[in-house]
Amino acid sequence: MPIVKLGEEGRWTNYHCTGTCDAATRFALRSGDAPRGRDEIAIAAKSVQDWLVEAAAAKRRVRPLGAGWSPSNVNISSQSWLLHTRRFNRCFRINADDVRPGIDAGALMLVEAGALVDEVSDKLEEQGRSLWTSGAGNGQTFAGAAATGTHGSMIAAGGIQDHIRAVQIVTPGGIHWVEPDVGVMSDAFIAATGSAPLRDDAMFAAVQLPVGALGIVTALVVESVPKFLVRPIQNLRKVDCAALDWLAEGDFRRFSAAYALDQDPDFVQMIVNPYKPFKRPAMLRFLYREPWRDDYPRATPGQLGAGYDALSLLGRFLNDYPWARGALLQFAMKQGYASGPDVDAPPVYGSWGEGLDTHRPLADLFNASVTIDRADLAHVFEMVCAVYARHGGSTVVTLRFMERAQGLLAPARFAHNAVIDFDGPRSQRTADAYARVLERLDAEGVAFTRHWAKSCRLDALRVAADYGEDFRRWRAAQRRLLPDPADRALFGSEVLDGLGLTC
Amino acid sequence: MMWLGWALAALGFAMVFGQYAAGQADIFLSIANPRPLDEEAMVVTLKGWGFASAAAQPFVTPESDHGLCDVRVFATRRQMLIGIATFGFLRPVTIAWRAHAGILPLGDA
Repeated sequence: MPIVKLGEEGRWTNYHCTGTCDAATRFALRSGDAPRGRDEIAIAAKSVQDWLVEAAAAKRRVRPLGAGWSPSNVNISSQSWLLHTRRFNRCFRINADDVRPGIDAGALMLVEAGALVDEVSDKLEEQGRSLWTSGAGNGQTFAGAAATGTHGSMIAAGGIQDHIRAVQIVTPGGIHWVEPDVGVMSDAFIAATGSAPLRDDAMFAAVQLPVGALGIVTALVVESVPKFLVRPIQNLRKVDCAALDWLAEGDFRRFSAAYALDQDPDFVQMIVNPYKPFKRPAMLRFLYREPWRDDYPRATPGQLGAGYDALSLLGRFLNDYPWARGALLQFAMKQGYASGPDVDAPPVYGSWGEGLDTHRPLADLFNASVTIDRADLAHVFEMVCAVYARHGGSTVVTLRFMERAQGLLAPARFAHNAVIDFDGPRSQRTADAYARVLERLDAEGVAFTRHWAKSCRLDALRVAADYGEDFRRWRAAQRRLLPDPADRALFGSEVLDGLGLTC
Repeated sequence: MMWLGWALAALGFAMVFGQYAAGQADIFLSIANPRPLDEEAMVVTLKGWGFASAAAQPFVTPESDHGLCDVRVFATRRQMLIGIATFGFLRPVTIAWRAHAGILPLGDA
């Protein structure tokens, strides 16, 4: 049995220390040593199904836990059974006879649900492949990042869940292998995983982003592209307010020419101090994609500019000395982010995976975001910064861009998206300032969505309004996977019930 | 001579305050390419200026059969105040670590 119990009932706190499961019984799902991946996940899925039945008999709710990286507390459930998946982390190459005709098996990899984004990147690179996008950090499990719609960051790509081509999901009533209508894996392969095939576009779009409420994801088939190099440029520049118009129009080339290289960027990020964002220098980061070559000069993650996702320090000072917030944040931006390489520095290169960092916060962090239609950026961004600063928000504000992401509940649901992140030291004042930003966006009639894993301040009514018909289709898929209301409740929690996902 | 007494008192206070602040620093050591599990922590109390030490709990590292990813050593404000109030006779420190999930070779599906 690959599931082992970890000690007696007790408390568990999530990675960002934003929530605690009280009276929780912890279990761990572990990888085995089966020679083939299909055998391994068949054994694991059956064990998970038995475990779910046991939990239901014990009248305990369940919660799968990856790396625990969800400050929104969708990973928190008290008086429940928790299933840690981090040690269920093997990856497997897929052969041509495992897939349906016309599918490129070389682009696919079978991934167990506990593998980190970093592990998936490493295993793909071993095969000359790469993810085409991901979030700023790579310490989440791939399944967890996809389950919460972690936004990507490449201009022309969607979310991390867009890589998924098939999902094995376990409920008390069955072990399902969910794919799009056209199918991906061969019937023989699916049978060997102990799963029942479920080829349905709407169902697949639901399980690409399940928010932990559709069952327990045990394995994924992940698609990749040939690996590539990225050249980073990172600098501090005063950005002209008019440049927001270029970004809103998608003229990234012009923005890049003004502040970095005169070529099309594949990634653009702007980190501003919300206190006078266009009078103080912003931290700009560009990535330019180049064909892979083996002889590129290796650089460290720091030289590649990794570690740009949040500031860990200065929280207490920012909270206690409001008059100094602008200057302190600017100081922190200079000290807390990797400097360079700028345009004039010798170029450095890395693979997509090498440019990401497994972030380790040393202080309590606040993480929140809003995703807006990129076309709204020019008239929204300054307003957002002004409201956030006026109410004492004590984090930098980060701007990134992406296309519409897959998955019925994907927050990046506009054709072209601008994602505004508020990541930094945690304080109640910062949380309140974020709430004021949301109120102002609503008052101005600006359409926006929020990240499932970050501090999102969502409720059931708002979720239903934000996702509309897609939410209705997601609930329909849930009722097909979990027809018994008791089984739907098994995956519930106070937070998920409050979001209207499990009640 | 009064000023000398005040100067020495100020110097002593500054030294103690400096120790109080620096003692809360986070000393962090990590391996490259970490694959961390959940963080575990324990308190070790150095007694008699380091002649003896005792952990407040048994030294167990659940799921540590693949080794450790990282270790943090720090003192909380309360732990530093205990150290100062007891003239260093008791010096509790917190040790936090994350076990390694293991790096398994790429297999065949």
